[in-house]
Amino acid sequence: MTTITTNTASTTTNTAINSNSKNGNQDPGLYFIDVARQYSSPVGGETELEPTELNTVKCSGGFLVVSTDKLRVKYTNVNHHGHNVGVIQADRPAPEKRLVYYFEIYVRNAGAKGQIAIGFTNHSFKMRRQPGWEANSCGYHGDDGNLYRGSGTGEAFGPAFTTNDTVGAGINYASQEFFFTKNGAVVGAVYKDIKGLLLPTVAVHSQNEEIEVNFGKKSFAFDLKEYERQEVMKQQMAVDKISLPPIVSYELVRSYLLHNGYEETLKAFDVASKNTIPSIYIAQENGFGEQHIAYALAQRKAVRQLIRNGEIDSALSKLHEWYPQIVQDEKSATCLLLHSQKFIELVRAGALEEAVHYGRIELAKFFKLPGFDDLVRDCAALLAYEQPHQCSAGYLLEESQREIVADAVNGMILLTDPNVKDAQSCLRSHLESLLRQLTVCCLERRSLNGDQGEGFHLHRALNSTSTAGRGPSANTLV
Amino acid sequence: MPKKQQISFSKSGILASCEKRSPFLAEIEAVAMSKKVITREEWERKLNDVRIRKEDMNKLVMNFLVTEGYVDAAEKFQMESGAEPDIDLATVTDRMAVKKAVQCGNVEDAIEKVNDLNPEILDTNPQLFFHLQQQRLIELIRNGKVNEALQFAQEELAPRGEEDHSFLEELERTVALLAFEDVSNCPVGDLLDISQRLKTASEVNAAILTSQSLEKDPKLPSLLKMLLWAQNHLDEKAVYPRMNNLSTAMLEDPSV
Repeated sequence: MTTITTNTASTTTNTAINSNSKNGNQDPGLYFIDVARQYSSPVGGETELEPTELNTVKCSGGFLVVSTDKLRVKYTNVNHHGHNVGVIQADRPAPEKRLVYYFEIYVRNAGAKGQIAIGFTNHSFKMRRQPGWEANSCGYHGDDGNLYRGSGTGEAFGPAFTTNDTVGAGINYASQEFFFTKNGAVVGAVYKDIKGLLLPTVAVHSQNEEIEVNFGKKSFAFDLKEYERQEVMKQQMAVDKISLPPIVSYELVRSYLLHNGYEETLKAFDVASKNTIPSIYIAQENGFGEQHIAYALAQRKAVRQLIRNGEIDSALSKLHEWYPQIVQDEKSATCLLLHSQKFIELVRAGALEEAVHYGRIELAKFFKLPGFDDLVRDCAALLAYEQPHQCSAGYLLEESQREIVADAVNGMILLTDPNVKDAQSCLRSHLESLLRQLTVCCLERRSLNGDQGEGFHLHRALNSTSTAGRGPSANTLV
Repeated sequence: MPKKQQISFSKSGILASCEKRSPFLAEIEAVAMSKKVITREEWERKLNDVRIRKEDMNKLVMNFLVTEGYVDAAEKFQMESGAEPDIDLATVTDRMAVKKAVQCGNVEDAIEKVNDLNPEILDTNPQLFFHLQQQRLIELIRNGKVNEALQFAQEELAPRGEEDHSFLEELERTVALLAFEDVSNCPVGDLLDISQRLKTASEVNAAILTSQSLEKDPKLPSLLKMLLWAQNHLDEKAVYPRMNNLSTAMLEDPSV
């Protein structure tokens, strides 16, 4: 059994959060330096290159001509036998880390015999044969409408296709099926029994046969978005069947507000729930175990607001007053985050000279320290540009950086609670832990499924309305 | 065009699902089914590598507050976290007022408020409009206003029943309430239950959200269900630290 690593963030080093005990010698604040580093590269999940054109280097030369845009193929020979098929693959394999891959052909001319095929083959495919005839290939053939899967004998599948027809081939990674379409309608689907990367493949095999391939540059005859939406709905329905007491969401939101010290929100939330869900409220009030998380709520709220407003000096002096142990070690991660934020605020305000001065006093000592170096260098980089927002360190000037510093200080204050048993719960809210668990479960499941299918990305999940679909105007996929 | 060439495929074995068993049995099974075993240390490393952005979590929480109608909390949350609601919070207040009106039995008031919000909502949802009118009839009966109820049923509801047969059945069921002196014991007594009001209220609520291009349910519960679902599916192929209690989000050691 081998370990499969599916790291979503290669920049992360393993630091603060390990096991559920307090780690004596390691600075828990390092965790937030890691978080800050993650923001230096854009969020977006995986992007895989898609096929865009036909691979003219590796094709059955001599039997076919390919247009200059590498999207049109014509059979020019007179065929005699089964080993001079004009077959051609896409320039890249079908992307796998998604729900569905799909492409289409348009038959311009069915030629002498209409022996046109569309399907998928792998890299070792013999380039003189119809897709489907050989092992590890699958093809829908125009002359008989049959489906061929690793065999010279076809299975009855759908209608034949000819001149002016648009035919599509797709892979549904969720159901692990190949599916084919004709003129915008699904013809059928079969179990995908081929593992590994697959190349979209087309073939022509009689005189004057001519087809155009569409890898998505033009709109498809088939409503792919709707197909995907249906597929998402299928999964959603399976997920919806799982029962979950409504109280769980409520509790998680409440503990999130508590964890982060959003005191005002919490108060309003509690007042509102008192009217609507009295039983819950009473249970919460008499509940135990959340006392330590309500710990220092007012102080955490106050410091968070100061940091969010960019008033770092005030935040520092409050910390010196209330929790000197947090800022005692001048070389701690928390101090670096606060001082770097002060530096960033000076850059934001255009007080560059002052920033330089401040940096020399407060940041220079972090140079070359493992774990700290990258952040210090990014801070310094802000000085080099006239438009620091647009440079690679520009992420530091975003609101999110203030939030990270505020989160770090919040976590450190929670850790000063003598009753705290679980250090991890100070650094991450329950909600965050659950979302991480969800992400890893989905990634792990995919990696055990031959690395095919969709992963889970919170950012993407929140920014797509694909699961809505119930409203009249809610079917725009982002 | 068939060619002679026969290739056979062998399909990989299908793994059985894993129920809760003793650690010892689980271990045997893991070995027997060649399940992947992921240690706590490995798993925590994977958890650490995940990128979850704070603003996305804030967005998720804001979505919950807005959809569930916690207007004041949403306002405060916007100030404290900087998260932007997807929608003008004033419309959330209006939506909650409609919901509350139905919950309290003030259906006429609720209908007026929905029309103030967006007259198209009821125009395009005949079923919803019928259910509101039905609720109005129920409230009249509840309050013992027999004459008014009869008149309302004949003038307002019966014509709707002609449009749609299912409406007619519902109408007859509702009017049947008048036939019983002791409604608490009659076969259609459930209509007078508070749950009927809640049902109608949630239907109006969903319709308003849809008209605002918002989902009728918050995203959080569905993500939590997805977690349970994903864990169940992963159980078939791997042994790994699970989160069994969502409220505490505690990672539990794999049973191997």
